[in-house]
This record gives sequence, C-alpha cells and structure tokens, in this order.
Amino acid sequence: MDVKPASGLREFVKMLFLLELWVGLWVTLKNQFRPHITVEYPKERVELSPRFRGVPRLRFHPENGEELCIACHLCETVCPDNCIHIVSEKKPDGKGKRLVSFEINYERCCFCGLCVDPCPTKPLTAIYMSHDYEMADFKREGFVAPLKTLLNGMDPKDYKE
Amino acid sequence: MDQTGLIQSILIPAAQILVILMVLPLLIAYLQLVERKVLGFMQVRLAPRRVGWHGLLQPIADAVKLLIKEDTIPEKSDRFLFTLAPIVTVIPALTALAVIPFASESFTLFGYTVRPFITDINIALVFLLSISSLGIYGIILGGWASNSKYSLLGALRSSAQMISYEVPLGFAVVGVMMLTGTASMVGIVNAQKEAGVWYVLPQILGFFCYFIAAVAETNRVPFDLPEAEAELVAGFHTEYSGMKFALFFLAEYTNMIVVSSIATILFFGGWLRPFPNASGLDFLENGWLVLGPLVAGAFLGWLVDQRLGGGLRLMFAGGIAGTALGVLIARSDVMGLASWHMPAVSGMFWFSLKVSFFLFLYIWFRGTYPRYRYDQLMALGWKWLIPLSILNVIGTGLAIVIAG
Repeated sequence: MDVKPASGLREFVKMLFLLELWVGLWVTLKNQFRPHITVEYPKERVELSPRFRGVPRLRFHPENGEELCIACHLCETVCPDNCIHIVSEKKPDGKGKRLVSFEINYERCCFCGLCVDPCPTKPLTAIYMSHDYEMADFKREGFVAPLKTLLNGMDPKDYKE
Repeated sequence: MDQTGLIQSILIPAAQILVILMVLPLLIAYLQLVERKVLGFMQVRLAPRRVGWHGLLQPIADAVKLLIKEDTIPEKSDRFLFTLAPIVTVIPALTALAVIPFASESFTLFGYTVRPFITDINIALVFLLSISSLGIYGIILGGWASNSKYSLLGALRSSAQMISYEVPLGFAVVGVMMLTGTASMVGIVNAQKEAGVWYVLPQILGFFCYFIAAVAETNRVPFDLPEAEAELVAGFHTEYSGMKFALFFLAEYTNMIVVSSIATILFFGGWLRPFPNASGLDFLENGWLVLGPLVAGAFLGWLVDQRLGGGLRLMFAGGIAGTALGVLIARSDVMGLASWHMPAVSGMFWFSLKVSFFLFLYIWFRGTYPRYRYDQLMALGWKWLIPLSILNVIGTGLAIVIAG
C-alpha cells in the first residue's frame, strides 16, 4: 500500500480512523435523496435546445402550405459531404423551377447545418435542422430520405421492416 | 425411536430446510432489486421501474429470464467440471445456513415444537469457517473448466484472495469464542444476553477485522477483483449463462447473507433486542409490531420519493404512517397480536433487521468505493488485517486474564 508516512497529528488521526472512507460513505448516502436526473426515455424525453441540430428536413410554407423549395441547388452545392441530391425541372408556366426529387443520404450527412445557411427562401428557409433524432433502420436504403419523408417527417410505421 | 421422536428429529428439520430453500431464492431476488434500487439512487438515476409498480416485479422477470435462457457450454470446456462447478459452489453456501439461528425460543406449530433454526451444534463457528472455505473449489473448478483466460485469471485471483482473507476472518472470530467459551451460535448469543452488552463493544477491533475480511471473502466491492469487469469481463463466471450462472449468483448472495448473519450473531446480539437486560425497554420485545410497519412504510416512501424528487419527505411520511398503523394494531389488539407473546417472531424481527443493515452496508460500499488493486488487496490482508486480528486475540486474552 502506497501510504505516505503520516506527518503531524491530524494526518495520523485521519489515517487511523479512515476518515476519508467515512466522508465517501456520507456523500453516497446524501446522494440517495437527490431527485433523479435521468428520464425514462421512450416515455419521457429530454427537452431539446431550440438550436438542436437533428436530421435536416424540408418544410412547407407556414401560411399557404406550398412547397418552399425553389430548387436553386444551393444546399446541394454547399454540402461538404455531397449527401444532397436534387433533380429539378422548369415549371410549366416557364417561370422558375420546381422539385422533381430531393434526396438526403443520412449515411453521409454530418449534421453540420451548412445547407440551411445559403437557403434563399422567404419567410423561412426551405431546408432546416429538425428536432428528430431517432433514425435507426434495418437497411441501408432506409437512410436515403425521399422528398415525401423530408417534407412530412418520419412516419412511425415506416420504422417497421 | 417412537413416532413423535421421528417426526421431531427428521421430519421437522426436513420441512425447515424445504422452507428455507424455497424462501431464500425469493429473498435473494428481492435483495438484488434493493441493491439495484439503492445503487441507482446513489448514482442519482431511477433504477428498474418498468416491471410492476416501481419495478417491484423485476426480480420475478429476472428469475424467469434466467430460467428460460439458453444454457451455453463452451466447445473446448471440460463439460463435466463445467456443470459441476456451480453445484459445488452453491451447496456449501446453502449448507452454512443450517447452523444459523434466527431466534432462540421454540414455538408450537400444528402441535409440534419447532425451533427457529435447523440445528444447533457445539462447533457451529468452526463448521461455518470450514464450510465457507469449500466454496473456493467451485470457483476454481468453474474458472478452470471454462477454458477461458478471463475465467482462469478470475478464479486464480478469487482463490488467492479467499485463502488470504480466511486467516483474519478466523482470528477475528477467535476473540468472541474466547469471551464465551463456546462455538455454538445459540450459546454465543445467550452469553451476550448474560453479559447484557453486544460484543461489538468489547470486540470492536475484532468486528472491524471480521467485517472487512467478510466483504473480501464474499468477493464484493471494494474487493471484487475476481469479477473486475474492466480487466476480466466477469471473472470466473464469464462463460456461464442461464441456470448455471443463476447458481453462482445464488451462492454469492447466500454467502453475503450468511456472513451478515454471523456478524449479527457474534457481534450484534443475534435475535436480542437492543439493551437486552434493561427492563425499562421491555416494550421493545413486541417492538416488531410498530417497528415493522415503520420500516416497511419508510421503505415504500423512499421508493416513491426518488421519482418525485421530494428529498426525505415521503420517507418520513411513510415511516410516520407505518408507525401510526403499528400503534393502532398494538392498541386495538387486533387478533390479540399485542398481548400475544411471541419471542420467536420478535427474535426473527430483530435478527432480520440487523442482517438487513449489514446487507445495506454491502450495497452502500458498492456504491461508494473503487476497487482495490491486486497488490493493495494482498497488502491490506497480510500487513494490516492479520496483525490487527492477532492483536485483538492477544488483547482479549490479556483482558480475560486480568479480569480473572
């Protein structure tokens, strides 16, 4: 045992009566009566910070419910992981473009949020970091989110194989 | 031998053994729940809560899971010894319970006199020391038969540790034997009754050595090197699963209970109430009527308390409610409980209260102390505990000689 020789009466008494051990016991005894800090996960959830960066998703216009995305390809360009893949076409009336498909590959996404910064749509960015964080799946294909999932979020029954 | 004699000497002990064998696993299952709860609360988390009200059915679920789990035997293992090891471990652990007295006065059940212990032999203490040493065989066999490096190392550590700590354990007990002049468990407690004081006072050093050695002997924290999960996965029972693992588990917890019982009997007056000779405290004889509900109420309050984060409030409330209930029962004399003179029940209550305290101490240690390093463990055993316990024996001897 690597015990230093007791210097002074105080250290000697400390060593003789194992004071440090009693202090430890007292700490654990007190801790028993502190309220718990864990939660029962599927039933309860930790409150997320508003800035929490979950999986990136697309959203509708908050008022008229139309697709916000104008298919400008900025997020696709800026994405450092090249996980966004957009296919677009000219609108039938000839003004602007609209989405044909919009895919995010969550296997590659690093949740950096860079795609949100250049998004030019008003009043809100079309692509945003949502608060969803449960994204386990059984197959690799499950991690490539199509337009429908991106707009509507994950349907719980989609998780089932 | 006539018929009543036959029943008294064979049938009743057999029935007692059966009762103990049936109650013990249930008790241990719930001890496990209490351990998980206390540990969880000490670590400021919730502990099992999903099965039953506040997790109260968790032990049943665990037992069912262990029973129906696949029982794997490693391919390269020694199949015979691998199966034998848990049996060899559990039998001495259970045998030790045979000489533990839970109370002293016999009571009458269906017209037969039943003593609240299986047997009282005059060498009970020596018997216990020898039988507890046998448990090492199972651990060594299990570690060796698994044919796994972790198991083998765990078993080696365990055997070295148990052999080292057997010495201070034996010496610590000698002091009590010198004071009483008997090794019978009932005799030791009766001597404490005559002396009017628990032996923890005259034998404080002996108790200190005994308890540390006992924790090491049962391979519990902070001496749980055989199971050091960071180094050895799970020690000697790494390869065990299902029923065989359950047997090792049962043996470990039975050992804990046995060792706590011995500590209670030798140093804390066994089934005696506090201050056994102070006649002013005679009401404590029926104290279980009030104290029992008090403990139960406080326990339930404490279970709910942590969830609500109410500090000690509900625990106190539960205790007060329990006390009120107990006083009510004692006053109104339901079923004549209060006037019913039951020294056996009273004895068992005090005994189990003391044993529970020691079991709580085990869990408390587990929640507090880090594990010893192997050389520290050996140093503590050989350089501190053995000299201290021998000092205790010499000191006790001198005191006896001087006192005449």
